[in-house]
Amino acid sequence: MHAVNARFVGWRLLQLVPTTASILLVAFLLIHLAPGDAVLAVAGEHGDAAYYDFMRHRFGLDQSLPRQLVTYVSQVAQGNLGYSYVYGRSTFGVIVERVPATLLLTGTAFLISLLVALPLGAVAATRPHGIRDVGVSALSLALYSTPAFWVGQLAILALSLRLGLFPVQGMTSAGSSATGWSHAWDVARHLALPAIVLAAQEIAVLARVTRSALLDELPRDHIRTALAKGLSARRALVRHAFPRALLPIVSIAGARVGHLIAGAAIVEILFGWPGMGRLLLASLQSRDTPILLGLFLVVSLTVVLANLLSDLLHAALDPRIRLR
Amino acid sequence: MGRPGRRGWKRGPSGALLLLWAVGAGGCARDPSRGARAGRDSTTLVAAIASDPGQLNPAITTNGSVHTAAELLYDGLVALDDSLRPTPALAVRWEVERDGARYRMHLRRGVRWHDGRPFTAGDVTFTFQQLLLRFHARTRASMAPALTTVEAPDDSTVVFTFRRPYAPFLQQLDVSEAPILPRHIYAGSDPLRNPANVAPVGTGPYRFASYTPQSEIRYTANRDYFRGPPALATVVLRIIPDADTQVAALEAGETDWLYSVPGPARQRLSADPRIRLVRSAVSPGGSNCITTLGFNLDRAWARDLRVRRAIAHAVNRPQFVERVLFGEGRAADAPISSGIAFAHASGLPIPAFDTAAAARLLDDAGWRRRGGEVRVARGVAGVADGTAFTIGFKGMPGQMTYGDLLRAQLRVVGIDLRLEPLEPTVFATSVFTARDFDAAIGAYCNGTDPEIGVRRMYASSSIAPVAFSNMAGYRNPAMDALFDQAGSAIDREERRRLYREIQELAVRDQPYVWLVETTGTRAYTTRCRGFATVSHFAATAVCTR
Repeated sequence: MHAVNARFVGWRLLQLVPTTASILLVAFLLIHLAPGDAVLAVAGEHGDAAYYDFMRHRFGLDQSLPRQLVTYVSQVAQGNLGYSYVYGRSTFGVIVERVPATLLLTGTAFLISLLVALPLGAVAATRPHGIRDVGVSALSLALYSTPAFWVGQLAILALSLRLGLFPVQGMTSAGSSATGWSHAWDVARHLALPAIVLAAQEIAVLARVTRSALLDELPRDHIRTALAKGLSARRALVRHAFPRALLPIVSIAGARVGHLIAGAAIVEILFGWPGMGRLLLASLQSRDTPILLGLFLVVSLTVVLANLLSDLLHAALDPRIRLR
Repeated sequence: MGRPGRRGWKRGPSGALLLLWAVGAGGCARDPSRGARAGRDSTTLVAAIASDPGQLNPAITTNGSVHTAAELLYDGLVALDDSLRPTPALAVRWEVERDGARYRMHLRRGVRWHDGRPFTAGDVTFTFQQLLLRFHARTRASMAPALTTVEAPDDSTVVFTFRRPYAPFLQQLDVSEAPILPRHIYAGSDPLRNPANVAPVGTGPYRFASYTPQSEIRYTANRDYFRGPPALATVVLRIIPDADTQVAALEAGETDWLYSVPGPARQRLSADPRIRLVRSAVSPGGSNCITTLGFNLDRAWARDLRVRRAIAHAVNRPQFVERVLFGEGRAADAPISSGIAFAHASGLPIPAFDTAAAARLLDDAGWRRRGGEVRVARGVAGVADGTAFTIGFKGMPGQMTYGDLLRAQLRVVGIDLRLEPLEPTVFATSVFTARDFDAAIGAYCNGTDPEIGVRRMYASSSIAPVAFSNMAGYRNPAMDALFDQAGSAIDREERRRLYREIQELAVRDQPYVWLVETTGTRAYTTRCRGFATVSHFAATAVCTR
């Protein structure tokens, strides 16, 4: 890697420390200042007051807020994210178990959205305001304005129940002990529907961005030159306009990673996909603070890193951009 | 879609995506025996549960999702039959001594834990002393203050001695209230963090096989179960958080059993020949529940009995059954659920639906209707004249459908209800700890004995920062005395008489309005039968291919 780039990456990575520290601090305070009591969710209802005091003491929730904060910070500094109240296990372990499922879901959805949105945007840009452009715009608008939980329900009813194309829920067949390729196939069948539903909104956004980026490119001199030299319209678009149009697409796609993770929470609940989004919601309801903070850490790191990656890609695609 | 850069954009959007939108009313036939069930045979049952229990130790929590997932693995000293009478389980017989202040339990011999170690009286004393009486919220709250000792005179006898006669004891020994755990696994450890909480060892009809977080828990039949081995070799509890997805999974054949069916889906399922529905008052979260409106008796307006009675008159209970519960449940006609047959009183003078009577009572109490829709105060003690009669109404989001209907019903008599939905943990702190509410709604599960789930609503000692305790803040020394008598009376007829008096007093004082008794609907595929409604639901089930 170029020397300047290495310094830039190092600097950006260094910025991660204060960013995540402040995210954690704000999250810690917000969770603790919000009403609600973890003990109730963990221990169940119908106890007496002495019982809940006893449980609070066991979890260290009877200590003052600053004291709890100091305990938490010193734990995190030692690389320990604490014990989950609900799971009674290390927070790190509980979260790490869910990472692969969410990565697989969001990664696939991201890939699908790129594979669908780029061609769609290109189709729309070739003849602005033509029938295809209008069609793509209408589709984008529809996809963007329908919430994922509704699209998901519809997809389950139509594609799973009526047509029987995909399983309704889960990541594998219930009770399955398949391994190797048959396991991979099983996961792929279960993955298809949630990934498509999660990709829907991203497709809408990216198709619009691709269209407008290409429309900016197409009237430029270098395209006209290419066409004058006898290149076909398709070749001019793919070879000459597309690479330059990628710049804004990469920026937007990087910035959408946060949205993708947020959307994954809804899709995971709807399809019973065993990922981090479901863990986040369940932990929020049970006020399982160590898990929540751990998840915030993972998600904020992911978003910051995704943005860094999109900056680096930017620089790689456009030699004029210097990262300092 | 495979090579988008070259071809895709010229051809237009590819089919897969448009399919998502195009398919809907299509006339494609359903094939019930399709792929989803592949690999499942007559020996496997898949049941859906809504939330990941996190851990599987039912002795340290009363959390419904933990109990749903863990009770297949364990047993209590007794089991309860359909009319909630104790029948032998880990204990084969028992003697009640000293007028009910001492219980001598004789344990079943030859029972083994899933790991092969013998079950003994030491497991029972350990479970009570170190787990249940410390960590199980209900058992600790109701039993610990009364119990003096738990002793094991020999390997197959356990003696429980109480300070005074303790009537509900046998009802509190089933696998929900008092599951027995192995001493050799838990002794000397922190029970909240013991690794066995996610790899449990019990005596129950099923053994633990595996637990994939957020995905599924697998169980295999306990071939040595003391009641005989279950017919099903494998049970899978599949975690499906969304209720509609659960229904879809049942229809697609991906699951065989649902613990509950949302109202709107019930009609669709009941028309499906492959699916059978059954009602039950028992649910994993509690049994014999009454959805109850509670008044905060610390509020000036609520202290007037006439106002409380007026609201009771303004409430149309059958409408709640019809519109909120979609016909599933019954209008409550007493403070104690009809599910506890011996204690439920019939023919009580509960205020009937009568808006004219409600209006008269409100007029008398000083809440006048002057042209406007909402009544205003005139000479109401503790309320400034001219104050509009607006009541804040707190409830959890799932119960706001009750709020909507109640708001409409109270509007008719000139009371304005302001709905304040709160998520569960916030609801509990706001209503029971801060007591910052006018009126609130709660599902009070009466359980198997009024001592477990009814006393806490009325005893003045239960006015505490504890969820689902005495929400109203109701105090009446006569009521306290009656509950003390009923709790220590051993004779059932005597208890029946005392609980009738309790209910008459409750209706007279009206600290609550008892709206509806709720029941749950289970749904299962017709390929399986023989389910029990309670904890060991799958122990007696049989499936065909």
